[in-house]
Amino acid sequence: MKHKKLCFAAILALALNTPAFADLKVAASLSDLASVAESVGGKHVSVISLCKGYEDPHFVPAKPSLMKAIQNADVFVSVGLELDGGWLPLVIPGSRNPKIQVGAPGFVDASEGVPVLEKPVGTVSRAEGDIHPLGNPHYYMDPKNLEVVAGHLARVFSDLDPSNAADYQANAKAFDGKIESALKGWEKELKPYAGSSIVTFHKNFVYFADRFHLKLFGTVEPKPGIPPNPRYLAETAAAMKKAGVKVVVYQPYYDADASRELAAKAGGTAVEVPTEVGGVPQAKDVLSKFDFIGSALAQALGKGK
Amino acid sequence: MSHRLKLLVVTGLFFTLPALSGAQTRSIISNLANPAIGFNALFLEQAAPDLNQPYGPQFQEAEISLISAVDPTWTLTGNITFSPDGVDPEEVYATTDSIPDISLKIGKFRADFGKQGTLHTHAFPFLQAPVVSVNTLGEEGFKDVGVEASWLTPLPWYASLTLGAYGAEEGAPDQPLNFGSPDHANIPVLGRLKNEFDLDDDTTLDLGFSGLAGAGAVTGTGRADGLIHAVLGADLTFRNVPLRQSNQRGWILSAEYLTRGTFREGVFQDESDGWFAFLQYRWSQSWWTGIRAEEAFNASTDVLAQADPSLTGHVRRASANVTWTPSEFSQVRLEYSLAQVDQVADASRPMDHRLMLQFNYVIGFHPPHAY
Ligand SMILES: [Zn+2]
Repeated sequence: MKHKKLCFAAILALALNTPAFADLKVAASLSDLASVAESVGGKHVSVISLCKGYEDPHFVPAKPSLMKAIQNADVFVSVGLELDGGWLPLVIPGSRNPKIQVGAPGFVDASEGVPVLEKPVGTVSRAEGDIHPLGNPHYYMDPKNLEVVAGHLARVFSDLDPSNAADYQANAKAFDGKIESALKGWEKELKPYAGSSIVTFHKNFVYFADRFHLKLFGTVEPKPGIPPNPRYLAETAAAMKKAGVKVVVYQPYYDADASRELAAKAGGTAVEVPTEVGGVPQAKDVLSKFDFIGSALAQALGKGK
Repeated sequence: MSHRLKLLVVTGLFFTLPALSGAQTRSIISNLANPAIGFNALFLEQAAPDLNQPYGPQFQEAEISLISAVDPTWTLTGNITFSPDGVDPEEVYATTDSIPDISLKIGKFRADFGKQGTLHTHAFPFLQAPVVSVNTLGEEGFKDVGVEASWLTPLPWYASLTLGAYGAEEGAPDQPLNFGSPDHANIPVLGRLKNEFDLDDDTTLDLGFSGLAGAGAVTGTGRADGLIHAVLGADLTFRNVPLRQSNQRGWILSAEYLTRGTFREGVFQDESDGWFAFLQYRWSQSWWTGIRAEEAFNASTDVLAQADPSLTGHVRRASANVTWTPSEFSQVRLEYSLAQVDQVADASRPMDHRLMLQFNYVIGFHPPHAY
């Protein structure tokens, strides 16, 4: 009997989750943006993310199935700052969905309004690697920036679905509240390590380090998009040793071996820390993602002390 | 208004005016809306002992790509190539995504035929176009002026149907199709059905069928030959990109069959056909290897053409390559190929060994990688 009830509830939940029942069908290029969209949209939206959390957001294969997945979307949330610039120019037109083409009301560049770090001054040269020419696009690594995204999404959702505008505004406010209170906890957790240095695989911790007062000593990749070579790793390890830097952080989609090798040579540890929601099973949404990052970093930095 | 205030307003205006006019002058001509510009260069070093040509470096091709939104409705793309053969406005076309479920393309472009047929030279998986492609659709696909509409059907998987219509064009060395009939009703047409299925998170299956047909002319006369000439093709591709290592690992297994012929009393009669199949394997972020096998019937190829351009035969070729991609923007590829031809006319069996080294560079705008 109990089983039957559960089954029924599951079916009901599934039915409620199907796009047909949602007022707005939302798709995002990144799981973090999808998570914010879920919080803001609540029961009025169905949300999908094209990039899985354990997938490199710079190199999402532009599969036709992704185009199919957004054929009927009402809103598309892009990271912007060209993080998804390598695949969205195929996937968005490929969807043949006029509602979400760039310039249409359903297309959202989530970076709008976010204070962008590492904006290149002057010209951009690829002699420095595959750098992000519009500034560092990994802004979703600062929880505060997600409040900007939530506000932006609430406005877009309200414009497209005015009957639920009050709910979207209220949800965005509630989301901000959750982030603010959680932020206090993360700040407290990382406060003892303020000023500590870490090495990351890619320059995707810039916003995080800025928020939580960590220092970025260097990267496992010698330049953005350029794979590490033995000589570079040896030099970086030597520099880490000299400076007493012991923590190397990498994502599920980066070369774990190179990260571990570097850490071992420097006498430290390499830890897999997701930068995107879904990167590890524990990072179910943006809040639990930062919970995971906070405790993983505190643990790794604590070991070094 | 007091005199003092008036004076302030007037002096204020005086100081503002030049500044304003200066700003206006600067904005009369602005480069802020310039299109995205990409530039690609291909250099080839070739040693082909069986061909009557010197070894050594060749300038293969350079390409300028321009792309930009024209207005909220249209996007304009231009790909202009420069090669020893001259300058070619290879593709110049406008697209619109304003129609639900349909994308529309107008201008001069590569027709949506098969897999290989839509690739730019710098994106070829092997340095040489497949023999069968050269003998059926054209070395660089079917490039013509036309209009294409591509419909993403409501089927639960990705299934797109492209219909195209093009200008009539007589056959040429790089365009083996004879669509030269001067008949007013001669509008070559294309149909392509493309399906894609996700087998799992990492692996996809892509299955396509293409057809292109038009009315022909008697060679060199400009008179209609009263026949419908056509190319038909089928392509099958399995592709694996492990999502956790999308920039490091993966493989592509692909095969394509093409046939060129004529409809006589409604029955298709094959004139030249063949297939190719290849495997590309990615070892790491920077290294790829590939092998390809191909066979083409009643086909011309370089070793035959250097003796007599009209000779055809049964061509078999095997190729293997290794590619080094130090970054997203450069690539060096070493390729070896061995072709053998069974030539019917004089029963000779010429061979063609080749060793090639290609350098591939792109600066500026980098067009996204088609899946
Ligand atoms: Zn990045």
